[in-house]
Amino acid sequence: MSATVKIIDRKGSSLQERFYLIEIFKGMATTFGHFFRNLLDNRKLYVRHYPEVQPEIPVRWRGRHRLTTHADGTVKCVACFMCQTNCPANCILIEAGERYDGKTEKMPVKFKIDLLECIYCGYCVEACPLDAIRMDTGIFSVTDNNRESFVVGLEQLLTTPGAFSEEEYKKGGA
Amino acid sequence: MSPLDILMIVIRVAFSAFIPLCFIAVCVWMERRGAGYFQDRSGPNRANIFGFRAAGLVQNLADAAKLIFKEDVISGHIKHKFYFVLAPLIVFFTALVSFAVVPFADTLVLGGKNYIMQGIPIDIGILWFLALAGFSVYGIILAGWSSTNKFGVLGGLRSAAQVISYEIPMGLALISLLIVYGTVNLNEIAQFQGKLLFGFIPMWGAILQPLSMVIFIVAAFAETNRTPFDLAEGESELVAGFHVEYSAMKFAIFFMGEYVAMFVSSSIIVTLFFGGYQVPFLATATLVNHAKPVAFLLMVALPVVMHYFTGWIRRSNVSHYPRENDPRVFEANIYIKCFWGLVIILELLLLAILFGASGGDAIHIFVVLLQVCTFLLKVTMMIFVFIWVRWTLPRFRYDQLQKLGWQMLLPLALLNIFITSAFVVALS
Repeated sequence: MSATVKIIDRKGSSLQERFYLIEIFKGMATTFGHFFRNLLDNRKLYVRHYPEVQPEIPVRWRGRHRLTTHADGTVKCVACFMCQTNCPANCILIEAGERYDGKTEKMPVKFKIDLLECIYCGYCVEACPLDAIRMDTGIFSVTDNNRESFVVGLEQLLTTPGAFSEEEYKKGGA
Repeated sequence: MSPLDILMIVIRVAFSAFIPLCFIAVCVWMERRGAGYFQDRSGPNRANIFGFRAAGLVQNLADAAKLIFKEDVISGHIKHKFYFVLAPLIVFFTALVSFAVVPFADTLVLGGKNYIMQGIPIDIGILWFLALAGFSVYGIILAGWSSTNKFGVLGGLRSAAQVISYEIPMGLALISLLIVYGTVNLNEIAQFQGKLLFGFIPMWGAILQPLSMVIFIVAAFAETNRTPFDLAEGESELVAGFHVEYSAMKFAIFFMGEYVAMFVSSSIIVTLFFGGYQVPFLATATLVNHAKPVAFLLMVALPVVMHYFTGWIRRSNVSHYPRENDPRVFEANIYIKCFWGLVIILELLLLAILFGASGGDAIHIFVVLLQVCTFLLKVTMMIFVFIWVRWTLPRFRYDQLQKLGWQMLLPLALLNIFITSAFVVALS
């Protein structure tokens, strides 16, 4: 099978193009068109006025993590270490303990995610056999003043709500 | 020397020293807002004082405050500290002083005495500009060399190579122009351009010498180190080129020097090719004789222009997202009131001209003010062209600029001289 060869004409060799000034004026007309349009009506700018107008976050967006709970508000995670093992950035640190409420045998006592280390790849969500960790909070901007506050613990992971309903999340393909 | 003479000297020197400085703010604002609009962005629109953003002009104050309070670093590896500090001063000073010979209005006649309207009353005009413009490159070369930095030295080298390729076409383009005008005095050149060709076309340099205009403008872009010829700076290749080691106010002096140079180049281009301070179709004598009709026309035109400008402010100065009691509408209302107040003051002044004595000193001052406004308007438009070209064209390569200078512009300039001389000899 022979490869299909497409010959593209090299631009810039015709007399008009070599004269240069005409092409410059054409380019200047294009940029002036943009300038004039925006000057007359600055609503036509392709700009989102960011802090006031937030972008729309789709369901499949990998935002900050959260731990899901059972209907009665207890933690779903069984401390199987799947996410921690799978994490390419080594940002998850779990400490397991015994569970006495009869749901399972193990539960995390500590669950720390270092958000400065995290690369937001979503492997932890894929690895989780119990759908206990999700990245559906819709939080895309993680900012603070000191390094320590970027390490989120069990309490914070459990209390952060998801941004989408269960149906929407399932439809998103997770 | 009467008190009036001293006052006129103070006014003319102050004008030619402070107007370029004031225009730095306008240029920076035009550059940033213009860049935004050319690229479909909005440009600076956040910095404000009590909610007043003055269309982004307040951003300049923020920038200035930042640059003044930054640490002024002279790194330890710099051996020639004196030259290092001297370089930005040369760039800024030569740019500022070369405006001194540009006339911003025709000679003012007060009580039978002539007052020339340019910073320094010398006749060498354009030669002064050429000399100082050539000198300002030394500042850049010196900055690049004394930085003791590879990028800096490369920037300085490029600047040196650049200067030999554009200065000759620039000078030759001027020669053909001087053949037409027959003088180097910029005021006489501007007066020459007040005449009419065939009775209805203004006799501007742009119409008499179009080729010379193109060459001179291209050379002026290179002379002010602006894109497409900003290869001495070349931030994508040389980080920042010659001013890579400069910080805080020393960098700001370079920055301001570039904008002053842009203003001065624009004013020289306007004076040489676009009639200088001349109001199109109305030479100084015509203006003085017909001051009252002109004043009347201005009185009619000002509110009409202001009406449309008001509409534009209302349309542009609103928040682009739903917001209760939009503070920008309030802001726009204040601006509109200020502008209408200004228009009312101007109308009263024009009314005074209209009902004042004709042929008196007031008429002469009115004509001079009108010419100053025309001059500044033309210069602002030329600065806009500088900005427009900057956001349209990519940077030339080092060898491409030299090829352009030596192989295209130089022969064209020489050809232009021959044609012009032949015409002038044939017509005289």
